[in-house]
Amino acid sequence: MASGEDFESIVAQYYEPLYQFAFSLTRTEADACDLTQQTFYVWATKGHQLRDKTKVKTWLFTTLHRGFLESRRRQTRFPHFELSEVPLELPELPSRLVNQLDSRQVLQALSQVDEVYQAPVALFYLEDCSYKDVAEILNVPIGTVKSRMARGIAQLQKILISGSKGTPTNK
Amino acid sequence: MNREQAKEILALYRPGTADAEDPSFSEARGLCGQDPELNRWFEEHCAQYLAFRVRFKQVPVPAGLKEQILAERKIHTTPAWLRPAVLLTAVAVVAVMAGLFILWQRPREDLGFSSYVSRMAGIARRGYAMELETKDPAQVRAYLTRSQAPSDYVLPHALEQSTLAGCAVKDWQGAKVSMICFYSGRPLPPGETTDLWFFVIDHSSVQGAPVSSSPAVTSMDGATAASWTVGNKTYVLVAEGDEQFLRKYL
Repeated sequence: MASGEDFESIVAQYYEPLYQFAFSLTRTEADACDLTQQTFYVWATKGHQLRDKTKVKTWLFTTLHRGFLESRRRQTRFPHFELSEVPLELPELPSRLVNQLDSRQVLQALSQVDEVYQAPVALFYLEDCSYKDVAEILNVPIGTVKSRMARGIAQLQKILISGSKGTPTNK
Repeated sequence: MNREQAKEILALYRPGTADAEDPSFSEARGLCGQDPELNRWFEEHCAQYLAFRVRFKQVPVPAGLKEQILAERKIHTTPAWLRPAVLLTAVAVVAVMAGLFILWQRPREDLGFSSYVSRMAGIARRGYAMELETKDPAQVRAYLTRSQAPSDYVLPHALEQSTLAGCAVKDWQGAKVSMICFYSGRPLPPGETTDLWFFVIDHSSVQGAPVSSSPAVTSMDGATAASWTVGNKTYVLVAEGDEQFLRKYL
């Protein structure tokens, strides 16, 4: 990062989508704010090491996601599923029903999705990142990104359809 | 690719994004044009995606978050001048500047003709090693030729009549200088054997060398030097004595 102006410009451009991504992961305003601030703190101290400035967005989302994982003190690695290995239940939730929901309900449903799928689903709906960038952010192969997105979306829709907090069936 | 396979692929298609140009979706999207049921499903998928996207994007961002981030940065950010890369660069620049300053401050060596004369006079008077001791002018020229020093010099007639003692080869800025030593015949202090020294160098090898063939005389702390140029050779005759003594050999 070359200057304060650059920093302000990057904050202005990315703080909202970063916060929304953080909120979709944590579901609490305080935790999402902390994660977002922590991400920009890391950027302020280490961002100058990033040579390819076109990667700023990916760098920020990657940093935020790592911060989230560290905050959860995750000890286990998630298994990698390739899309072709996992039979899918394809979307069956009509868009008119989605239109009757609000953000809180959608995020509440997301919180019931298996944790490993939550970040991929949030990135699927929130951001326009390429699958390659999402793979970099989540630090998993592209095939794994797609399988997690597909399974997470299927879980989310089942939860919303059932209107319950039951365990998703598509596992 | 059948309909179900196409659905699996298109389930991850995000309308309004770069996925429209992503070739991994091309075939499945193409199939929609041939399969009305698949096309209806795909349109519903796109509508559903956009509806979800709006919900995710509707998450309100707390007021003041941006200002808080900017304020935190002022507290924590490492100043640019303290970053290792910047510090190393600064140290390197300072070192180079200091080196340049020292070089600039150092007295520069005068490469002009007066410096050349002074240097040769100093060699003659403060001592030197005669590389060849002989009274034979031919041996001196032969030695200088072998040493790739100027040997086609022309001696002043009076000097030619003096007693030859020998020669040496000296250096001036990479150019060979022939030094031919003579003895005038007058009494000398103990240990001294010569009191006239004739230096020859190519004219182009000394900055500001005289162009005149008429000797110009300069006095230097008990010694005297005469300098002149003939052809492409510049000559300096140094004598231990005054101008009157020196002129006897020009």
